[in-house]
Amino acid sequence: MKILVIEDEQDLKESIVTYLQQVGYLCESAENFREARDKIAFYEYACVLADLTLPGGNGLELVRMLKENNPDTGIIIISAKDALDDKITGLDLGADDYLTKPFHLSELNARLKSVIRRRNFQGMKVLEAGSIKIFPDAAEVTVEEKKLTLTKKEYDLLLYLISNKNRVITKYSIAEHLWGDHAESLDSLDFVYTHMKNLRRKLLDAGAEDYIQTVYGLGYKFSC
Amino acid sequence: MRVLTKTSLYYLLVSVVVFLVGGTSFYWIMQREIYDEVDDQLFTDKENIIEFIRQHNRLPSVTSGISEAIIVKEARQVTPTLEELADTLIYSSYDEEYVYFRRLTFTTYQNGKPYEYTILKSLTDFEDLFESTMLAMGWIFLLLLIGLVLINYYINKTIWQPFYDILSKIKRYSLSKYTPLQLKPTSTKEFQELREVLLVMTDKIYRDYLNLKEFTENASHEIQTPLAIVNNKLELFMQAENLSPQQARMLEEMYTPLNRLGRLNKALILLTRIENQEFAEQENLPLHLLVEEQLEQLQEMINMHGIATITKALEPVYINVNRGLAEILISNLLVNAIRHNQAGGSIDLSLNGERLCIKNTGEARAASTEQYFTRFKSGSNVADSLGIGLALVKKICELYTLKPSYEYADGQHMLCINFRSNQA
Repeated sequence: MKILVIEDEQDLKESIVTYLQQVGYLCESAENFREARDKIAFYEYACVLADLTLPGGNGLELVRMLKENNPDTGIIIISAKDALDDKITGLDLGADDYLTKPFHLSELNARLKSVIRRRNFQGMKVLEAGSIKIFPDAAEVTVEEKKLTLTKKEYDLLLYLISNKNRVITKYSIAEHLWGDHAESLDSLDFVYTHMKNLRRKLLDAGAEDYIQTVYGLGYKFSC
Repeated sequence: MRVLTKTSLYYLLVSVVVFLVGGTSFYWIMQREIYDEVDDQLFTDKENIIEFIRQHNRLPSVTSGISEAIIVKEARQVTPTLEELADTLIYSSYDEEYVYFRRLTFTTYQNGKPYEYTILKSLTDFEDLFESTMLAMGWIFLLLLIGLVLINYYINKTIWQPFYDILSKIKRYSLSKYTPLQLKPTSTKEFQELREVLLVMTDKIYRDYLNLKEFTENASHEIQTPLAIVNNKLELFMQAENLSPQQARMLEEMYTPLNRLGRLNKALILLTRIENQEFAEQENLPLHLLVEEQLEQLQEMINMHGIATITKALEPVYINVNRGLAEILISNLLVNAIRHNQAGGSIDLSLNGERLCIKNTGEARAASTEQYFTRFKSGSNVADSLGIGLALVKKICELYTLKPSYEYADGQHMLCINFRSNQA
């Protein structure tokens, strides 16, 4: 699956590309408006990650072009500007998601997965990880073909973990994923711990292996 | 008090003094002049009488009038020659009142026989003089008053007009509104100077303000990218297969403050954006529903903090605000009430057309009330608190001219947002 990363900041671009490659995507990158425009015109991508402030032009213009020529391509806008106008314009133009810098790579990955999943109507109706199956359309989870009842937050948490499986996910990125803007005002790290404990217990009780590991003080890792 | 009222009052005060002193001295001077005149006349009469007797060796025939009387009587031999000048009161049957007279009594001899002459001259005019002086003064004073009012009115209309114009424009002047101060030129030197000084000053302040604002904005925005880079590199670093526990701890120790910095920067950007009035969109929001909504979102946190009771008295209230900002406002207030609470504590919410009040149990804060809403000054050491939440609340209140207030009493914090800004 091919992803195009449009980002003028060299270091940031490298990080994103490295992470996405590690996760298993085929990644290309563009550093300025012209390069991005040419790549969009010649190749097809599953998803494009576009920065809005680019040398040589506005990222919103790229979004518009993509929508005209390749409407099936998923678009995630990455911007340093948390301006509501840009967000609304971007989403109006047909971008699938909007991410403000700084962001967690695991969050970007989860969003990317979600965008691709939503755009890919044929397959991917079921996400499998070990004995766990997730049906995103119905928001259902089964373990060993048995239905598992999870709260909304536990479900989101599990989906997030599985989207980033075999990666270390920090507590902070989980907190932000689950509570968004509220994360900073909540004592969210304690919540992450509590929810993780509950989720782990429910999975174990349902007969799944202990997929979730604590990685020192850093965060968690779902491995299978 | 207006400058004109003030100067007019001084004018009036001085006028009153001048009129009193002037009137009195005028009266006294007039009185003395009249006395002198009457006395002169009396003495002239006396000289005439004595001269008549000396020339003709007989007593002149004398007549008495309304204002004058000459009385002659034979004096006894023993009476010494006298000359006496005095005031006297004589009852006038015509006027039915006592009338002031000036009396000169003297003795003269005819053929060695003494005669006592008394010449009386009326001073009736004095009272009239007094009255007419006072009346004249009164009229002049009244005219002066009218003149003063007219002049004040005129001065107000014309001369002071540029001043009031400048004043009202400065009152309405706001740095964040980006409209330069526009003052009309005037012909009055002082006001023209004032105008020029103000124009130069506001221009400079405005430029400084823009520079500062630009710097803050740039700083926060420029920080975003490096923050993102370091953040992401650290995240990549964490994925390394063979991390030792010590390395992991160091990564964690780097990652935690970095995250805090990121959140802080985000909050600062939000503050700047509110200041820049970037949240122009407004809608008529049901505040009571918004409170319920936010409360529900925070339910987890409320449970976790072991807050026992939440009482609500929410009347339907609609206000015109930006939805995002209203959410930030309410969630910050609620989070504040939850975070600075105690186990088994309570939160009491009340909303009516006047204000929104959030009461919560909790320890007294070290910070003073004025500092309460200031950035980074939150007095508690509650972990993970940026101390910026209430600064945001204050900023949003400023934007919509709402008035926040804070009180601590009986172990309860009470934070209110008054919807009518002019109320105390």
